[in-house]
Amino acid sequence: MIHDALLVLWDCSHGDVSSAEPVLYANEGDAEIYSRICSIAKSHHRIQNFIAATSFHSRKLQTASNIRNFGLYGQALSEGITEVLQSYKKALVKVEKLVIGNKDYTLTFVYSHVEKFQGLFNTINKIISTIKERRLSGCEILSLTHQNILNGNEMVHSAILRMFSCINNVFINQLCAWLLYGELKDPYEEFFIYRNKKDDLSETVLSTPSISNTCDKTLVTTLQQTSLDCGYNINPGMIPYFMPLSLAQEILFIGKTVILFGFDPRKVKRSNITLNSTLMPLHKLDYDSRRFTIWEEKEAEFHNKLQQLKEPEVFEVYNLRCVVREIKECVTKHLWTVAVEEAHLLHELRLMKDFYLLGRGELFLELLRLTAHMLDKPTTRTSTRDMNHAFQLAARAVFLSNSADIEKFSFELPYIKPIADATANSSLDDDSSVDGWSTIILKYDFKWPLHLLFAPEVLARYNDMFRLLLRIKKTQHDLHALWKTYKQTRRFAVCQLHNKLMFLMDNLQHYLQADVLESNFSRLMDAVNKTNDFEKLKAAHATFLADILSQSFLTTTTSERSEGGDSSGDGVETITNPVFVNIMDLLKLCDSFCSMSEFASDREAEDYYIKGYSDRFNKLVKQLTQLLVCLRDRACGAYLARLLMRLDYNRWLSAEAELTRSLTHMLRC
Amino acid sequence: MPSEMITLQLGQCGNQIGFEFWKQLCIEHGISPEGILEEFASAGSDRKDVFFYQADDDHYIPRAVLLDLEPRVIHTIMNSPYAKLYNPENVYLSKHGGGAGNNWASGYAQGEKLNEEVFDIINREADGSDNLEGFVLCHSIAGGTGSGMGSYILEHLSDRFPKKLVQTYSVFPNLDEISDVVVQPYNSLLTLKRLTESADCVMVLDNTALNRIASDRLHIQNPSFAQINTLVSTIMSASTATLRYPSYMNNDLISLVAPLIPTPRLHFLMTGYTPLTADHELNTAPKIRKTTVLDVMQRLLQPKNMMVSLSPDRTNQHCYISILNIIQGEVDPSQVHKSLQRIRERKLASFIPWGPASIQVALSRRSPYVHASHKVSGLLLANHTNISSLFDRCLQQFDKLRKREAFLEVFRKEPMFKESLEEFDESRGVVDDLVQEYQAAATPDYVHWNPEQSNITKAKIYKETPCGCKVTFVVSIPKESGTKRKFNLENLS
Repeated sequence: MIHDALLVLWDCSHGDVSSAEPVLYANEGDAEIYSRICSIAKSHHRIQNFIAATSFHSRKLQTASNIRNFGLYGQALSEGITEVLQSYKKALVKVEKLVIGNKDYTLTFVYSHVEKFQGLFNTINKIISTIKERRLSGCEILSLTHQNILNGNEMVHSAILRMFSCINNVFINQLCAWLLYGELKDPYEEFFIYRNKKDDLSETVLSTPSISNTCDKTLVTTLQQTSLDCGYNINPGMIPYFMPLSLAQEILFIGKTVILFGFDPRKVKRSNITLNSTLMPLHKLDYDSRRFTIWEEKEAEFHNKLQQLKEPEVFEVYNLRCVVREIKECVTKHLWTVAVEEAHLLHELRLMKDFYLLGRGELFLELLRLTAHMLDKPTTRTSTRDMNHAFQLAARAVFLSNSADIEKFSFELPYIKPIADATANSSLDDDSSVDGWSTIILKYDFKWPLHLLFAPEVLARYNDMFRLLLRIKKTQHDLHALWKTYKQTRRFAVCQLHNKLMFLMDNLQHYLQADVLESNFSRLMDAVNKTNDFEKLKAAHATFLADILSQSFLTTTTSERSEGGDSSGDGVETITNPVFVNIMDLLKLCDSFCSMSEFASDREAEDYYIKGYSDRFNKLVKQLTQLLVCLRDRACGAYLARLLMRLDYNRWLSAEAELTRSLTHMLRC
Repeated sequence: MPSEMITLQLGQCGNQIGFEFWKQLCIEHGISPEGILEEFASAGSDRKDVFFYQADDDHYIPRAVLLDLEPRVIHTIMNSPYAKLYNPENVYLSKHGGGAGNNWASGYAQGEKLNEEVFDIINREADGSDNLEGFVLCHSIAGGTGSGMGSYILEHLSDRFPKKLVQTYSVFPNLDEISDVVVQPYNSLLTLKRLTESADCVMVLDNTALNRIASDRLHIQNPSFAQINTLVSTIMSASTATLRYPSYMNNDLISLVAPLIPTPRLHFLMTGYTPLTADHELNTAPKIRKTTVLDVMQRLLQPKNMMVSLSPDRTNQHCYISILNIIQGEVDPSQVHKSLQRIRERKLASFIPWGPASIQVALSRRSPYVHASHKVSGLLLANHTNISSLFDRCLQQFDKLRKREAFLEVFRKEPMFKESLEEFDESRGVVDDLVQEYQAAATPDYVHWNPEQSNITKAKIYKETPCGCKVTFVVSIPKESGTKRKFNLENLS
């Protein structure tokens, strides 16, 4: 009977424990004890089943037959459990020896030896059943095991720790490969970082002249996220519970950056040459030497540090974080050298300001002189070529043509084929939307690692800014050109209206260029000079871009409904910034005024138009001031107040618009 | 190169300030007195080509035309280290060489006589530029050549180049001291008429104020011409800074002047500059430490830094039509907005009541080759209605002479005045209209101002009241009426 029990405990009865229940008991109460032994045996049996299902051999088999399985983590768990069970098996062997040596031992004796395993088995079984129920895999198993480490039972604690360290080995190895070499050794998709299978090209962003469709708050993050995308991402469900999201992101960043360095065109070229001309081993050698340059002899050190984390005593989130931080520092430093020093990032940033933000005023003045007539019309097939030709001419005129920087910029005027059945009047209606001003794209050809900063999304936003500034500069230029003609011939009323429009444009430009662009750019430069962390630089740049967009009223605001707590993120209805609409209307008014001489031939017609324009001007300006009240609480209201402070500098505008006192007061703050 | 400017220097004063101006430009752009680009300046991104043209790779020649009727000043220039800078074909000296004898009429007549030769030079210079934006004329309004010949050239420049801007740097005579040119009030008034009618923008450089600044602010006992002219060249170089250095706005002259001049006739601009320190004081003078944008802007609004002496505005009715500040040096651009706000709140500047007006601030770079003694410097260009007081003083002085019919014989010698002195009365009318318009511009009613209405001649009637005081009545007579009406003075008084 005792041997029955031992056999059951050894898991020889293949599961049918209850059927093999012996009938005869030596002592009273043995039946009770036997059933207890059986329950331990059952637990053990369940564990054994799990081990069998997740072992190396079964993994191989299942992989071959394409069945979803527990993968490397499952296997590590089963190995860990096997290891833990060794003590149980040793205990059984010991008991058997004692029983053979002394026939007087009772069933209670056996039970007393195996009873202590009850707790352990229960815990393991709990883990196993959770895994099965929730179909956990990979890092989730790691999390689950880690959660069970803290156990009052000394034996259970140390056993789970052993199991955890087995799984942790797998985890650390994957982490190590990812952090140091950017390799994802993860055939069963168990790591918390995964590779995007579909690679959607976001080139379409560049060609859409749309206004940013993100609301103010998320703009910074959108602008920041779009770079450094080489198809790897975080699987949030897989992140071990003890690891904060920020740490996971840092880990992702490091790996991505390491991969990125592998794409360095200069080095890739070199390795291609060696590939073509020499044998494979040499290529491999070159590959290794590249690896080495990133870490600058620190590779071994980092490797050791990571390997140390395999020790469960050392494995603390704190320690992990320390190592990751250290590695990250090394990576960002390298990134800084490559991007900022080798690719002259600061110079490139100034170029962005000079060209996208019209810092080179004289160049664009000349360009406008050459191309304004072309941009007024709908684009044709040759527009892009003509525009670039004019750009070269303008550059030559301001003695910039021999500078290498000019080569980096080019224009594109996307040609939209007019719809064949479009009638004459419909094309008249929307001709403003297809002219060159609203579609022109300034393209920028940057050096290799700078796509981290100037992602397509970022360049699209720069282009939004560029189009607005170019439009304003053109209108301002036209108004200035009229000024000279008013010397003797024109009448006072025309002069007055012209003066108001010119004032508006000049101050709008001063606001945008001085208050918005220059101020934010100097802030960006300060931030860049203070740091030598590429990530901080990137964040500063994203903030810069988001700030200039929102201060130029180029961002859209989300409608009230979405702010009311509707958590459906997709259904957010966006409306164009009302201030922007107003400014565009004013620009149109100015353009129309400039071309007045073309259609108002006699004095009476002129009077008529002047009156119309004056009314429209007054209406729009009044509208602008009233918008201030509506936007009082929003950030955009503060910027509008800044603009209006310039426009209403001598309080003429507010007197004219008959503003209430509260509004004039608002201009002050 | 787009937006080129051609500088015309006329007469003794014009050539002297022009000379200082080119000296300053050469230093700022790193060009040697011989016109050779210095080694250290070869990589500069400044726009030398607005004022210079390139003869070959590193040789720059000013777009300057030097004109005079007497050889003295031009000879001095030609004997200076800068002799080789100028294109010798652009230096024109009257063969007659006798000068204009401080007589406007003589200068004007000689201008007429020499006009072909002079405009040959100007045309050639204009053809040599891609996209000429305008002319800068340097002259004095008190002498003979600068005022007389300058007037003739002004009138004809706008005829020949109707689309080009004409900007003048006009030196107004010192009214505090007795001039050795007795007919100065005549000369000034006759020139003022042309400045009003033919120039697009006049930068008023008032010798009264320049002398005052030299003695009060720079502590120079007897300021020399050279010292005064250094002040002038500082202003000229600062006011062209945005044209010469690439920046985001004010890249051409029109974008500088158009916002400043809302109505075409009110185109007389005042200038102000800070900080002002003389060379000899650089080491001893207390350094101005406050260099924030607000401080610079506040100092620029102080009358003592203004280069035009205005009569005190007791009734406080005058105001700014527009202001442009050009600030050079290291400043934090985000301060601009705050400074504007502070000035607005404290009402440090009063503006016109009839239209929008503001202070525009342009931040500009400064030359990297000049060691600046101050971190930040600022230039103010302002259109202020009180500039009419300057013209008013000119009118008063003119009236003093005219009433006595003094020194008219020198004018009668010239064919223009042989028949009649109508030109004097006409010029007086134009300048008087200008004063009226400036005064009207300080009131809200200016919106209804009709320039055609002002086509009236004003007659001055002198009458002695019974109590013995002299009272002057100004009566406006519509031009159309043709004949002078008789006024009942009893009713008027």
